[in-house]
Amino acid sequence: MFDFAFNSIGEAIYMNGHGIYVWSVVILVLISLLSFFIGYNLKIKKLKKKFNESN
Amino acid sequence: MKYLRLEVLKLRKKTRSWLGPILVFWLIMLAYPLTIEVSPKNLEIGFFSVLWIAILLSMMFATEDIFTEDYNDGYLEQSLISETSFSYLVGLRVLIHWLLIGIPISLLGFVFSLGTTENLSLSLLILPFAMMSSYIFLNLFVLGNSLSLNKGSVLGAIITLPMALPVLIVLGKSITAIQLEINYSGFIFLLLGSLSIIIVTIPIVVSFIIKAHLE
Amino acid sequence: MFQVERAYKFILYSSLIIYIVSLIWGLLFTQEDFVQGNSYRIIYLHVPASFLSQSLYISMAVASFVYIVWRVKLAAYLVISIAPIGALTTFIALTSGSIWGIPTWGTWWQWDARITSTLILFIMYLGLISLHSSFSNYEKADKLLSWLAIVGAINIPIIKKSVDWWSTLHQSASITLTDKPSIDPSMLYPLIGSMIGFFGIIISLVIISSKYQIFLREKNKSWIKEYV
Repeated sequence: MFDFAFNSIGEAIYMNGHGIYVWSVVILVLISLLSFFIGYNLKIKKLKKKFNESN
Repeated sequence: MKYLRLEVLKLRKKTRSWLGPILVFWLIMLAYPLTIEVSPKNLEIGFFSVLWIAILLSMMFATEDIFTEDYNDGYLEQSLISETSFSYLVGLRVLIHWLLIGIPISLLGFVFSLGTTENLSLSLLILPFAMMSSYIFLNLFVLGNSLSLNKGSVLGAIITLPMALPVLIVLGKSITAIQLEINYSGFIFLLLGSLSIIIVTIPIVVSFIIKAHLE
Repeated sequence: MFQVERAYKFILYSSLIIYIVSLIWGLLFTQEDFVQGNSYRIIYLHVPASFLSQSLYISMAVASFVYIVWRVKLAAYLVISIAPIGALTTFIALTSGSIWGIPTWGTWWQWDARITSTLILFIMYLGLISLHSSFSNYEKADKLLSWLAIVGAINIPIIKKSVDWWSTLHQSASITLTDKPSIDPSMLYPLIGSMIGFFGIIISLVIISSKYQIFLREKNKSWIKEYV
């Protein structure tokens, strides 16, 4: 159950030709989640800055 | 009765509002043959899809400014506080749009399908289907346009079109059933049932939405 | 507010760990699928997103109902905070599904029932967002958005049923609550882990976006000045 399914790292990246699909989905998901987190944090920071200036 | 006459008069005076959608429908039905190699067989394949979509689009144009003018000149506010229930007024207005725009378009669709298919019973059945679907579409677009009141019809269309898709699916299925000579009465009852639910619920929802606009 | 902050951090970090561990487990340590080969590993990214895309809409509709009936202002903030995140998950579900489709079906798009209804759902999310953004008066926008969310939630099952009826090709759901799962346990555990992890990540996204919404709307109140 916990055996590494591939013989080498290169094979894990290649995945018999399916690697490009799998890893592009991984990248897509990570980037979109990350960009939302960063975006909201930036927006909140901007608002906080405005408060501090107005006070 | 007083309101009925008033609403008919209001719609009739704005020629663009009732003639425009009919002309749009006409033009779409005219544009369709121009995009393909004209032969009776080719024409019949996509004809009904184009017909339903043309009805959908012309209903969208029919309701484009259904409330805008009244919103701007304060008539909506006035009728909200009048003793007649506002949802009743909305339902009446939809009915009049259907009578003046929906029915002519359904008749036109029937005439067009007479010219396209040799199956006479199919063309005859187009009439009730077009009449029911145009009424459903009108109601749905009224809902969308009440949400996007005075923000343009594009927003209303984005909101409404997803809701109209199931109706399109039913229409497509029923055409297939008629063409294959399977029992199609179920589709008529399905449309009739959803229409009767929609006629009652949508004016109520729309009156709440317009209240939210005016608060 | 400080407790929320702590809960947020706890949820975020624990679900991140769960998600990443089960992704690594699923992507690298499970057996290759007999039929689909390695491309089946997209399941660990696709299923959590498509699972949540509808639940987010339903939760939005529930919050809208609470706002319309009891006039709870926070519920309205929740509705507009969930909308972009729901659109994001639906987008992830759609794109990961179509990338998965290239090796398995040989095409990135199939006119199949579930994909089509997910696309419709995505458009509905965008419609909600554009409706809210077209009104400068927040209160009015909240009310209209809530009405649309409720009407849309009534419509979702209708759309789903009708699109199902229109055509179907997609493999049926691998995990249901009632039946025995039709997937090998060694593949199932990382899938469940990734679902839990993704769920937690989405929850923390909702928390942070509602925090932004609260800051934005309540910026003139005195308590928020004290808090900042």
